[in-house]
Amino acid sequence: MTASHGAYGNADATTTATSNAASSNGAASTDESLNARVRTSKSPRPNKWGIIIAAVVAIAIIVGAVAIFNGRNAQQSANKADTVTIGLKLAPPSLDIRRQSGSAIEQVLIGNVYEGLVSRDSDNAVQPGLAKSWDISTDGTTYTFHLNRNMTFSNGDALDADDVAWSINQLKEKQYYNANQVESLSKAEALDANTVRITLSSPDSNLLWYLTGRPGLVFDKDATYNAKTQAVGSGPYTVESFDSASKMVLKANPKYWGTAHKPATQHVVIDFITDDNAAVNALKSGDVDVLSPVNATLAKSLDANTYHVSASDGSDKFVLAFNCANKKLADKRVRQAIRYGINHKEIIASRGGVDAALGGPIPSVDPGYEDLTGLYPYDVAKAKQLMREAGYSISKPLKLTLTYANTYGTELGDQLKSQLAAISIDLNINYVEFSTWLQDVHANGDYELSLVDHAESHDFYKWTMPEYYYHYDNKDVQALYAKALAANDEKESDEYLKQAAKTVSEDAPADWLFGYRVTVAYNKGVKGFPDKLSQTVLPLWQISKAE
Amino acid sequence: MRFVAKRLLLFIAALVGLSILVFLALRVLPGDVAAVMAGTNATAARIAALRTQMGLDRPLPVQYVDWLGGLLHGDLGISAISGRSVVSQVGARAAVTFPLIVLSLAIALLIGLPLGCAAVITRNRRWRGLFHVLAIVGGAITALWSGLLLILLFSHGSGLLGLFPSQGFPNDGWKDCGRAMASLVLPALATGITAGAGIMRYTRAALGDAAQSQAVSMAMACGMTRRQALLRVGLRLSMPQLVSVIGLTFAQMITGVMVVENLFALPGLGSMLITDVGNRDLIAVQSELFLLAAFFLLLGLAVDMAHHALDPRLNTASDDVQEVL
Amino acid sequence: MSAARVVMRSMWRKASGKYALIVLGLWVLVSLISLVWTPYALLETDGFHAWASPTAAHPLGTDGVGADVLSWLMAGSRTNLAIASLTVVVAGIFGLALVAAMVSRHTALRSTSVVVVDALISIPTVLIALMLSVLFGASTAVIVAACGFAYGLNLARIVRPAAILAARSQYVESAVWSGASGSRVFVRHIMPNVMPVLLVQLSMSAGMSILAEAGLTYLGVGVGVGVPSWGHSLATSVRFISIYPLTVLWPGLIVTMTVIALHLFGDALRDAIDPLTNPELREAA
Repeated sequence: MTASHGAYGNADATTTATSNAASSNGAASTDESLNARVRTSKSPRPNKWGIIIAAVVAIAIIVGAVAIFNGRNAQQSANKADTVTIGLKLAPPSLDIRRQSGSAIEQVLIGNVYEGLVSRDSDNAVQPGLAKSWDISTDGTTYTFHLNRNMTFSNGDALDADDVAWSINQLKEKQYYNANQVESLSKAEALDANTVRITLSSPDSNLLWYLTGRPGLVFDKDATYNAKTQAVGSGPYTVESFDSASKMVLKANPKYWGTAHKPATQHVVIDFITDDNAAVNALKSGDVDVLSPVNATLAKSLDANTYHVSASDGSDKFVLAFNCANKKLADKRVRQAIRYGINHKEIIASRGGVDAALGGPIPSVDPGYEDLTGLYPYDVAKAKQLMREAGYSISKPLKLTLTYANTYGTELGDQLKSQLAAISIDLNINYVEFSTWLQDVHANGDYELSLVDHAESHDFYKWTMPEYYYHYDNKDVQALYAKALAANDEKESDEYLKQAAKTVSEDAPADWLFGYRVTVAYNKGVKGFPDKLSQTVLPLWQISKAE
Repeated sequence: MRFVAKRLLLFIAALVGLSILVFLALRVLPGDVAAVMAGTNATAARIAALRTQMGLDRPLPVQYVDWLGGLLHGDLGISAISGRSVVSQVGARAAVTFPLIVLSLAIALLIGLPLGCAAVITRNRRWRGLFHVLAIVGGAITALWSGLLLILLFSHGSGLLGLFPSQGFPNDGWKDCGRAMASLVLPALATGITAGAGIMRYTRAALGDAAQSQAVSMAMACGMTRRQALLRVGLRLSMPQLVSVIGLTFAQMITGVMVVENLFALPGLGSMLITDVGNRDLIAVQSELFLLAAFFLLLGLAVDMAHHALDPRLNTASDDVQEVL
Repeated sequence: MSAARVVMRSMWRKASGKYALIVLGLWVLVSLISLVWTPYALLETDGFHAWASPTAAHPLGTDGVGADVLSWLMAGSRTNLAIASLTVVVAGIFGLALVAAMVSRHTALRSTSVVVVDALISIPTVLIALMLSVLFGASTAVIVAACGFAYGLNLARIVRPAAILAARSQYVESAVWSGASGSRVFVRHIMPNVMPVLLVQLSMSAGMSILAEAGLTYLGVGVGVGVPSWGHSLATSVRFISIYPLTVLWPGLIVTMTVIALHLFGDALRDAIDPLTNPELREAA
């Protein structure tokens, strides 16, 4: 065995060469490995290699020339008026809206390709969808939906009450994504072709809102298709092509049943551009008409005469969760000290100054919001005192580990480490992949501090589930939330939510670093792009572009 | 012939070994694709249900044999997340990465070979010094930094001279060939410069070595000028080594290419691999890693064969060395 | 005059050696200073003054969280020093062990090691680092392990021809005949012969580990969050190059200058310790 190992045995890549060169320019080479090759002379043959090298050189020069020429012309490529191109940062990994997590998939597909029993507007309020109206029984446990007439899916199949009931029952049975949000829903049945009745086990004032999301979507009972790569829905658009690495092309659905949401533009192309700089370049060169979101700092470089730039409140909450089941963090004084010790204004300023301070678990776009930033103002002296009471000092700091996903950037970790050091907390940062975070923190609850962007709206219920990774267990909060769900009156429900949120915030099971505000930028020729909540509700049918 | 047979056997053994290594290494990773699909709202029951649907709860040997069986039929499997075949996914991304590597290599050769030859041919001490400095400095620049400098110098928008698009790849792919090519020029330069410095050092060393050989002296005695002798005879003598160094440069450029793909936001194999590992889409990752590794092994095989064919001395010399030990 | 001083002096006499010694000396010096003093504490961030241009207070400006770039670069030098030296140690030990296996008298061990090296060499450093960092989290150790592994393989392959040549020399044969053990033969007779190649190779590995650190940290598989390193400074400066281009210059410049110094150092050292090229050393001995 082991005859020659060919090239690997003798030729030593680039490295030994240096040694040879350095030793008085090749004379009397001390380079062992080069000397190791026994050299014998051979008769020269016609120089093929010269020709090959010349060819390579020629190709490279031509390629370079073409590239420069085209690079100059790149900016002139304008796109057509019947196509609006939107640049998004996050791409849905697949089209399987019943199984795949992530807000990107909802943003792109709900209301555009798939439609729900009810829909949501840009103010986060419930509006009619496939159902034009509904009645709720006085005890709040029976909902009767009256559907629109003559509805069809994009494949031509009729959409009737059977499809609606089937979709909702399948959701429960197969435990599709967010099925847990409508836990109280026990069954759906078609009373006739245009009427669906939904029965609940207990009243749930959030039900309608949840039905505007994934749980309320209606799928074609009779169609078979690969849900990951294809979509058969009833919305104003159909998916013409999709590649999560580059783009999705949507085409107006010729069989669309509705008249209110007729698409203003025939084609909508959604470009997925992960890189912030690349995104801004694409907007400036006219490759995309809209950027949502655009990095707040980079957006400042956009010309205000050409581009409309605006930021709006959303439901994204950057939650720094404290594991209440952890011994060190079971001490409320420590949790409070951390909240006093974090300078939210500074963090927001370094991010471009757009994000909103958030003092509690409910964001401003959700029912039950109130400004709770006053509960724990930035106060290092108070934080230090609390830490002293808990038995920690600069000489005897509290060691904590923060686990967060590497999708959020290193800056937040650096800042928290820096700010908490001032209140005698030695923060170790465990910067992991999102999937590792999901496993360690979310699934196993094995962490001390965790940072994640909880993007969903109406997700206060997580604070009422002791088994959720927050490990927050407060009977008062659970009771208040139950009352809020059972309340018939919206105001009354909001009041309970407010109380519950305030209790949570006071208990300090987490710090809410900031509410991420989405900055959107678009060419002024674009009309109808929603100013608010475009990260979750993106009604494409109303978007158009001036010639 | 014996050499070829042995090398092929080694290649196949390495492939099988790699497939086991890749398969096992990936199973050690924390988290799984079911949890990633289920996201932050998931309940344990939902994750378990997804796991069963995707066949993740089957015993490992069964999963491995399943995968290997597919590989033997040329079926690399289907991504658990995107539902697309791994082949089509790799194909789409390779359409960016492969041209990038080829372009980088062309640039590296364009820089490395002539400068390396010139460094040996010239008798001017200053020129030699300059070439020496060029080789050392070129090899000391990280692709990340040269990429950044190139953006600052030559890109639309942020550069001093707006010659090339700075970041991103046209979404139509190669439909607009010129634009696609243009967006690869800066990244290719960034990796090409470093690799070029390496090739230059190597060319200089190999040619410098050849310059001492009898063949070159003979050629000069027969009336060739020194330059002619070096280019016609010397270069030919050093070709076997140069071929292998080019092959190796190709393999080593991958690290630089991954960084540069990220920096220039190109949808290439590097970003695909990072995304798929992140999603724990193991079926996709293992096939992709396997393809990549197989490619590098194949490259090594090809380089060895070429080296062998170009340099018959290897047949006798190295067998001889082995016998002695 | 001791041999060490002679070596230093002859290195110093050449311009390239002088450059290498000065830069490497500065590197070590700054690393030591940074242990006790940096202009600003590393943990001092000021979000209100993020991305500040260079001023008297911050000679190199501030980064995205408002921390002093100069302080971070100073502190980064000690991380990179640790990475470079540890990589040299790991790659050296691993590489030499492989070389020993590849020239050993046991045929089975010899052929397997050659086959294994040839198979593993084609796996890029970045893939190893990616796997390791997923398993153990991003850290300095991951860089050292990945680089040490990859460069150790490289080293083994490059040193092997010289080692083989030494192994079939007459003195090794006579040592074997006189009953010296395999390990003794390797350490006493083969290693000194491969020393020049080894030194050059190790100093290049040190340089490459610094380049790799920058790339790996940028890809998120390098040093952890909050750990200062040149790659960290470079990676953080990348985010807004279109608006704040200046911050990109410094870390890259430092990396390049240091890697050049390491490359030159290896060459100069090899020339200086070789009695064939350094007549003074012959005199001293």
